[in-house]
Amino acid sequence: MTSTHTNSHTEAAKMEQVITEFFYKSLLIILESRSSYVSSRNYSGEQTVSSPSSSSSSSSSVRPRDKWFNLALRECPSALENLDLCRRSNFEPVVVDVILEQKPLDWGPASFSPTSDLVRNLSSKNKNSYFWNSDQQDESGSEMKCEKIIERWFVQHESRKGRDCNSGNRRSSCNNLSALYKKLILMLRSLYVTVRLLPAYNIFRDLNSSGLICSFKLVPRVSSFVEPLTRKEEVDMQRFWFTPVDTSCGRLCLSVLYHSSISDMSSESSTPMSPQFIPDYVGSPLADPLRRFPSLPVSHGSPSSLPFSRRHSWSYDHYKASPPLVSFSPSPTHSESNALVSNPSSLGLPPMSLPPHPPETSLAHKRNTNFDEYCPSPNFSASPSPSPSPSLPIYIPRTHLSKALLRSESAPVNIAAPKLANTPALSGKQNLPPCPPLKITRAGTSRTDNIRVPAETDATIEKIFSFGKEDCWKYSGVKAFSNSSPRISCSRSSSRSLQDDFDYSEFPCPFDVEDGEMMDPGSRKSQDAAVGALVRLLKNSPPLRQNVSLNFSEASRPEILSNSIPKQSQILEAVTVEYAAAPNIASFRLVASKTTTDALEELRGYKVMKNLLLSEGGKAYTSNVASAAEHSSTSKGT
Amino acid sequence: MNCEVCQLKELEVEHFEIREVLRCILHTIVFHRALGLVRPKDVDLELFEITYVQCGDVELEKKIDEKIDHFISWVEKHPNKKSQICLSFYEVKSKQPSWFTNKTERLYWEQWYINLNVTQHPKHHSSKSHHTKLVVDPGESATEERSSRRAMVEASLREVLFQIIKFVNEKKDHVPPISEGVIYFPYEITIPSSSDSAFGMDMIKRMLHSGHPTMLS
Repeated sequence: MTSTHTNSHTEAAKMEQVITEFFYKSLLIILESRSSYVSSRNYSGEQTVSSPSSSSSSSSSVRPRDKWFNLALRECPSALENLDLCRRSNFEPVVVDVILEQKPLDWGPASFSPTSDLVRNLSSKNKNSYFWNSDQQDESGSEMKCEKIIERWFVQHESRKGRDCNSGNRRSSCNNLSALYKKLILMLRSLYVTVRLLPAYNIFRDLNSSGLICSFKLVPRVSSFVEPLTRKEEVDMQRFWFTPVDTSCGRLCLSVLYHSSISDMSSESSTPMSPQFIPDYVGSPLADPLRRFPSLPVSHGSPSSLPFSRRHSWSYDHYKASPPLVSFSPSPTHSESNALVSNPSSLGLPPMSLPPHPPETSLAHKRNTNFDEYCPSPNFSASPSPSPSPSLPIYIPRTHLSKALLRSESAPVNIAAPKLANTPALSGKQNLPPCPPLKITRAGTSRTDNIRVPAETDATIEKIFSFGKEDCWKYSGVKAFSNSSPRISCSRSSSRSLQDDFDYSEFPCPFDVEDGEMMDPGSRKSQDAAVGALVRLLKNSPPLRQNVSLNFSEASRPEILSNSIPKQSQILEAVTVEYAAAPNIASFRLVASKTTTDALEELRGYKVMKNLLLSEGGKAYTSNVASAAEHSSTSKGT
Repeated sequence: MNCEVCQLKELEVEHFEIREVLRCILHTIVFHRALGLVRPKDVDLELFEITYVQCGDVELEKKIDEKIDHFISWVEKHPNKKSQICLSFYEVKSKQPSWFTNKTERLYWEQWYINLNVTQHPKHHSSKSHHTKLVVDPGESATEERSSRRAMVEASLREVLFQIIKFVNEKKDHVPPISEGVIYFPYEITIPSSSDSAFGMDMIKRMLHSGHPTMLS
């Protein structure tokens, strides 16, 4: 009797231990494939022997706990923490919630992440946006943490009532125990395979494999009692039951509720999110040194002779309407945008909104296209169209620019609220790369075509700049590509006026327009003033030839030029020669201190002066010739 | 002890997908029948977003790969044919030697039938003149079609894996007890041989060894 009682007690204790270890093992299998730490996944890769038991050298690496159910797994801290939960004698159910947590978005300037901004906006536009429970809010009230239970595992032992668990003889108990152990081994094998087939595993694998920043994380939560899922939550979930295994006093049950629609996020979350910098982008200082302002009479030279031409950004060979005197200093922001554009996948596209595999590639392709559309770059702006003009964002002739400016200033404010509402925090941000915010606001726009359209005609340019402040924003983005300042690229708020964008005097830009220089192209200086300016210019330049300098000093006044005919012709020739030569010298002096706009203005002035002088000289020459002819005829006649 | 048979859902795969699909299915089944002490090894498929589990035995892996190679060779010789691979688990029972039977007897207690329909790759059909076209410029529609087809195969493969899990869970009583020091039960992988008659002979041999007709359901 006593031995029977002892044996049954031993059997019961063994049974209890088996059940407890089953709880722990199942918990371990679930947690090690859902927690972001070293899991058996990596552990198994380290093994060099065929199996733990076949080789004596590896037997020492098998811990005692590994031998339970013949499944050697790596230790899981979170499972160990919950070991007490498993060891309860009354075998309370263990519920494991696998929560997909979206990291809170910080709108502060220091920690702004364009990827999180993307996530926020695109996830809000996601048709499954109800997926997220965003009712949790930080104490500060400024952050919103979104989390969603994507899996709920139930491990429980259902006791059988009204039956003595310890009944039965020793032999049958022993058989029961071995049979139970075998069945539990099979169940745990199935569990191990199942956790890897469910959608959440893809997320876990991608989060673990990529050591980059992701906006989502998997958080398993173990508890005994949980609130039941709402109907809304449960409607999208599927349940998988493992066949219960009978024990001596009940049965062990294992089941899972899982979301099948999160498979989209696996590929999304696997997208690397770290920005990548391309050091040798087209136009970078490394690839292309900053080019200086070329000499004025560029008409003598061809645009292709310019050493720092950016073939992709403009085709000024064809754009004959304006001189190819564009000083272009590639901006770091442009390089960043290039980096982001050229590798959109590195931008960390939001996990939530990408569709599953078949349309994923097309959407990813479309997303890439959108980035290219949105963030004009040298690569992007290589338009296949035979338009004579360069891409709009890179090069805009000043005449059109002035028109556009006037028009944009007078255009009514037309800000599409949903478009810009997505970026309320962007206003005033100073340190942002241009491209991602552009992307956000453009996500809702239907004006994607505007950026892509090259500035073939003035009408096109006018159209683009006729959208009001939003285009101011676009224009400032355009400007960013030609400036070296990220500040400009960030000044994309709708509250800014176009003029504000051009108040950055420290960032000279070909498109800079200063009020003082805003003049009617039709106005001309007086002839005297033009000549005087030329004379002053020539005086300041080092004399090339003695006779020329002397001649210049004598020709300081237009009256002298008009009165002295022979000298005038010589002087005219000298002036012409000097005009050709001096600007080469003078221009170098001026380049250092003047902008392209100034240079263009000067060139225009020079041309005016030249024409004036030529006309004056021509008149004088004509009159001289006429007088000489008369004189000769008169002399012949006599 | 009865022999439990599981007919897995037919999979339509292309030639280049055979290896991965078969590895996935065979290793998943064997893992469920490797009841000895194992250190599982997770393997990610390259063609599909599926992770399957191996029991980590190098020898087992080699044998399975060999069988897959034989099967692929057979498929190349018999294109556009539905094929079946049989994974059987048996117990070795000693028997009285006689004129017609060996000393040992194999008692099959479980058989898995993996049904594959290997479709020919498009470029094999095309003539040489079209080959370059197909390779060079498949077109966007072909890419989308390939993607959708790949997704279908992945979904089907996932279904098959869940079918294995359900079968393993529902039927446990027929599994023999675990022997000490044995990692996995003795198994046999039968692939179609060069001729159908030979395949039939294999079936007859199995019947003779098992001592009872094979239940095909």
